[in-house]
Amino acid sequence: MKIVLDRPRCEGHGLCEEAAPQLMHLDDDGELVLDLEEIDGGDVALAKAAARVCPVAALRVQ
Amino acid sequence: MSTVALKRVVVVGNGIAGLTAADTLREEGFDGELTIVGDEIHPAYSRPALSKALLLDGDTLSSHTLPPASHGARELLGVRATGLDPDRRLVTLDDGTSLPYDGVVLATGSRARRLSGLPDEVTLRGLDDALALRRRLAGRPSVLVVGGGPLGMEIASGCLAAGCPVTLVSQGEPLTAQLGPHLAGVFTTAARERGLTVVRTGPARVAGRAGDVHVALDDGTVLRAEVLLTAVGDIPNTEWLAGTGLVVNGAVPVDTRGLARPGVAAVGDLAAFPTPRGRRRVPLWSSAIDQGKSAARALVHGDDAPPMSFQPYFWTEQFGRTLKAVGPLPAAGEPVYVDGEPGSGPALMAWQQEDGSTTAVALDYRIPVPRLRRMTRTPA
Ligand SMILES: Cc1cc2nc3c(=O)[nH]c(=O)nc-3n(C[C@H](O)[C@H](O)[C@H](O)COP(=O)(O)OP(=O)(O)OC[C@H]3O[C@@H](n4cnc5c(N)ncnc54)[C@H](O)[C@@H]3O)c2cc1C
Ligand code: SF4
Repeated sequence: MKIVLDRPRCEGHGLCEEAAPQLMHLDDDGELVLDLEEIDGGDVALAKAAARVCPVAALRVQ
Repeated sequence: MSTVALKRVVVVGNGIAGLTAADTLREEGFDGELTIVGDEIHPAYSRPALSKALLLDGDTLSSHTLPPASHGARELLGVRATGLDPDRRLVTLDDGTSLPYDGVVLATGSRARRLSGLPDEVTLRGLDDALALRRRLAGRPSVLVVGGGPLGMEIASGCLAAGCPVTLVSQGEPLTAQLGPHLAGVFTTAARERGLTVVRTGPARVAGRAGDVHVALDDGTVLRAEVLLTAVGDIPNTEWLAGTGLVVNGAVPVDTRGLARPGVAAVGDLAAFPTPRGRRRVPLWSSAIDQGKSAARALVHGDDAPPMSFQPYFWTEQFGRTLKAVGPLPAAGEPVYVDGEPGSGPALMAWQQEDGSTTAVALDYRIPVPRLRRMTRTPA
């Protein structure tokens, strides 16, 4: 599966990073960086947890 | 309570707090029977989006959607819990059935406080409210918003952006009670520049009859508009818990792990939990998430679960400006500028609060929240 970021929508809250620090982080400018886009196994649940906490629904797992 | 005893968990309320608790139960290894009851027919969605992007989003209507749940729970949507029997460990439902549990998560959130029982008084709490408001704004009606808190101001901002003439009625200067005078000034200045009319008053009333409502200010002035909206706080949905002894002053008090009693967790807007400023409700998005996680761990692991480490995170977007804050608000006095300077540009600021805590605020300034959190740990 794949994590997709709708970049214009992302407001850099970083709540997703708190949920899945293994998969994504905000860089020093507050831009979200996906460290891993293609995911499988246990990472799928993590990615979904990250997408869920995003209050502006900027992340999708598909 | 040990893991062995936990075979059936019922989560009541399908908002972000209930959803997070359900997800976390699974992450923590709970593989028993999980049921979620929610009285809205919609899958869980992002409530903060309702007063922000959703009011603006031309046509996509997707800013509130959350990814589908992965907890594999049995979901009873459109079903309302009507009672809880803590002794027999039963949740009763409005379809006449009841659900037995070993562990229960109370997550029924809160609803908008109203100033009248009149149908013309519009409030914004649920997705249906937001969609109905959007449809009405398309006709660019005049709008009167009562309530100068963050929600009232966001709604006023959305209505202005939709092209409506908007008047906001506020007790005192808007946002001052919530954010402190400095930050309130930033937003009210932006609001007035964009054409918001602010009326300051003492307690206001909503009166009239169906089809003809008005707002009466404390000095007797009467205001009318085509759309009358109020945003004057929220009331926890705890009526269904009557007689359980779990409700104190309208909310459910819990311990540092989110438990009201062994096997009974309460999370989100209806729960009052211990904070450095006393036991209180913190009806905010990331607070609901932190509580949901912590309480689910407590149900699975009991006393071995860590207590919740809570630090408030708040954000708002209105009148073209955005704010993110970590640490207690309101912020009194003037800030120290970590980056940027006084004026209307982007700024990163810190307040040293009287109780020794630090509040870090980013205004139109992109910064990872973890960095904001770090700023609150080093003195400004
Ligand atoms: C318009 C708006 C904008 C907001 N903006 C922000 C923001 O910018 N930042 C921020 O941090 N917070 C914001 N908040 C607050 C935040 O959305 C809430 O704190 C959060 O949604 C609380 O989640 P919850 O799960 O506790 O409650 P809720 O989301 O209210 O979920 C509770 C669910 O339980 C259901 N329910 C109620 N009674 C029953 C019953 N008897 N049986 C079954 N189901 C029942 C309810 O219908 C609801 O679906 C905003 C809130 C609103 C309304
Ligand atoms: S939580 Fe959402 S808005 Fe915040 S950084 Fe992650 S994707 Fe962006």
